[in-house]
Amino acid sequence: MLNNKYFLLFLRLVVGGVFIWAAVTKIADPLSFAQDVKNYRLVGHNLSFITAIFLPWVELVAGVCLIIGVFPRSSALLISGLLLFFIILVTITLIRGIDVDCGCFGTFSRRADLWLILEDSLWLAMSLILLFSPGNQFCLLKKAG
Amino acid sequence: MSLKEILRDRETWQGIIIILSLSLVLGAVSQVGLIKRFLQGEFKQAFFSRQEYPGLVFISLPEVEELWHNQQAAILDSRPSSEFRRGHIPGAISVPLDEVKSGNYGLLQTIPAGQPLIIYCEGGDCLTSLNLARLLHDRGFRDLRIFSGGWEEWTAAGLPVEKTEEDAQ
Repeated sequence: MLNNKYFLLFLRLVVGGVFIWAAVTKIADPLSFAQDVKNYRLVGHNLSFITAIFLPWVELVAGVCLIIGVFPRSSALLISGLLLFFIILVTITLIRGIDVDCGCFGTFSRRADLWLILEDSLWLAMSLILLFSPGNQFCLLKKAG
Repeated sequence: MSLKEILRDRETWQGIIIILSLSLVLGAVSQVGLIKRFLQGEFKQAFFSRQEYPGLVFISLPEVEELWHNQQAAILDSRPSSEFRRGHIPGAISVPLDEVKSGNYGLLQTIPAGQPLIIYCEGGDCLTSLNLARLLHDRGFRDLRIFSGGWEEWTAAGLPVEKTEEDAQ
């Protein structure tokens, strides 16, 4: 079941789609996202700005690559890494008792809370299945085998 | 495929480098205007666009003190009401952002019109003053001045403070 090619394609569409959607909402309003990053109080003012300029594009490019199948393994690894980072970030933020908007989907963002960790974990599980799948079909560019 | 194999695969890293480089280029190209404004220092105090919020400025303690002393501005305290009761700038009006956000827009009617509004919160990295100012700006209020030093700087300077009666007793 986990290695069914249509199931894997479905996972690619879901995970890639979530990342593209998340990225587009942030690219549309980088200043708000910069403020959201700063609200986590983990990085300073300048680094918040730099993150807000580039991180959404990493999400977008990785999401597109995952869906169209260009470097599918690299994009799955990158996306898994980002999700793991987000989960750790939200956990730390909750432990520190900071009440912030997650900043995940631009103006559609909600609080960074336990539900967000569960949601990210679900995406992470999907992305890990893709990462460890034996081979991806329906790819524009892929290594043979 | 095992994680070890994936991490050892050169193609994995090539792909990651290409994705990251492409993102860097796209980010820099698409936001070149914003990056320029950032380098010119426009977003030094907060990440908001001056074009979008023309009626919003940041002021320092001496300016606040002078306006307060001459009673030339209304002072709004955006902190939670419990903190306001414990102590605030004399004459300040309590407009807690959390209460406004949860729908208590009646609080905005207590704000006097026709004079500059000074807004402050705890100080340091506090953001409620800026967020309240944005909200007020969106609702048509103008001449909003954010005192980013906030309560912390006011008390550190040894300026007078006021407490609400129930707590003072």
